[in-house]
Amino acid sequence: MLLEARDLHVAYGDIRAVSGVSFRVDRGELVSIIGANGAGKTSILGALMGIVPLARGTIVYDGDDITGLPAFRRARAGIRLVPERARVFPRLSVTENLMTGVYRQRKKVPLAERIAWLYELFPILAQRRDQPAATLSGGEQQQLAIARALISDPQLLLVDEVSMGLMPKLVDRVFELLEDLNRNHGLTILLVEQNALASLEISQRAYVLETGTCVAEGDTRDLRRDPRIRQVYLGSGTD
Amino acid sequence: MHLFLEQLLNGVAQGAIYALVTLGLTLVYGILRVLHVAHAAVYTVGAYLGLLVFNTTGSLALAFAGAMAGCALLGVLIERLVYFPLLKYPPYVPLIGSIAVMLSIEELLRLVAGPYILTFPAKLPFPALHVGGFQISPTLTAVYVITALVLLVLWFITGRTEVGLAMRAASQDMPVADAMGIDSHFVVSLTFVLGSAIAAVAGVLVGIYYNQVYPTMGSVPAYKTLAIIVVGGMGSVSGAVIASLLLGIAETLLIGYANIPLPRDALAFIAMIAVLMWRREGLMGSGR
Repeated sequence: MLLEARDLHVAYGDIRAVSGVSFRVDRGELVSIIGANGAGKTSILGALMGIVPLARGTIVYDGDDITGLPAFRRARAGIRLVPERARVFPRLSVTENLMTGVYRQRKKVPLAERIAWLYELFPILAQRRDQPAATLSGGEQQQLAIARALISDPQLLLVDEVSMGLMPKLVDRVFELLEDLNRNHGLTILLVEQNALASLEISQRAYVLETGTCVAEGDTRDLRRDPRIRQVYLGSGTD
Repeated sequence: MHLFLEQLLNGVAQGAIYALVTLGLTLVYGILRVLHVAHAAVYTVGAYLGLLVFNTTGSLALAFAGAMAGCALLGVLIERLVYFPLLKYPPYVPLIGSIAVMLSIEELLRLVAGPYILTFPAKLPFPALHVGGFQISPTLTAVYVITALVLLVLWFITGRTEVGLAMRAASQDMPVADAMGIDSHFVVSLTFVLGSAIAAVAGVLVGIYYNQVYPTMGSVPAYKTLAIIVVGGMGSVSGAVIASLLLGIAETLLIGYANIPLPRDALAFIAMIAVLMWRREGLMGSGR
């Protein structure tokens, strides 16, 4: 098991965003957390990364309790986040954005190789390498956010609503890429998505979230057959 | 013509000194969004520390080094003990904290060093420059060279080093910077170290330039630098430098030529009000 979250609670003032969610991600798995807007998905990823304070709960990563660890230490331990709406650094160039992903890790990865690989994956970033990230389109920023998270060769990739605001064609490409990274590069991925159809298609297991609690979990094959989930999240009626 | 050139050169020197004091304020605002009013008190402490070390050792190099080290420490202490615990409150809370620190330091200096104007009898070891039959005094040369050096070092650190990249990233989105493995609290402290050390340089330089060191020498800079960062664009380093130079030149020329019954210090605020009315993001602001 690479990641285990037990009884996570996140609250903003009096508003409870997440109340008692538990899940696990095994090494080499691609796991989805699906649910509507406001179900608490982004809060969960923020809490895992350490940039959203946890009210209660335990996070175990790679055998260590990391609940009290600051975000930058979690990042250096191999957890990386593709934030909701990309959140690239607007006034840094594309290359500089990438370099923030290997802060104090430049010697630990074959940097030239990683950059060449990422520019091959996202040719548009190579073209715009010296432009400030703010001048990129939404889809390009999303690609940059993925590249920035991948450059350090992470063990666990947390992906937050990567399909939001992207053209359908680009959504397909990004999901194909995540599937490829998982199947062929052995990258463990935890995906948080409103786009249940696309994310269930590429993941092995999934958790279904409703207003801060987990209402269903299991193999994606079973979930996709579950009539209730079909109706609510996959947009097709029961037959 | 000769007088005009002389006034212009004085104005540039005045502006350079404004820039040195304002840089720390800009850097801190850029990363923490706190109006670090107490920065002007750090500048005053720099002048006193420099004078103390100079009087004890007779070495101007040691005076600069001692003042920079002492102020860097003071800056980090203010950040850790005052701003860090107050950041979770609305912005006016750290601002009030900052004003309190500023007044406390001023009063402390008055108690320790006395409510007098001390002299700073040092000579800056720079040659007079001769440009086309025109002479630039050693003091002016010193102000120009030292300011240029400080700006160059600052540009190198923020633009060409890994930790500088981390500073810029953290100032644009701190949680995401953390998620990239950047220890942003360390980066914030480093920002205070840099800004405060530069303020120390300014303090010593002003002490020598006017041959005066006194407890409230930071009072006018405290509010004038606020006006400068508004004019330059909040958090913009290049904007702060340009606004400082323009203000220094404008003030000096105004005094030299115009017989307007207007105190020189009012000019910064007229400029600030004008900017707030016509270009709210400032000269070089990003409009955030």
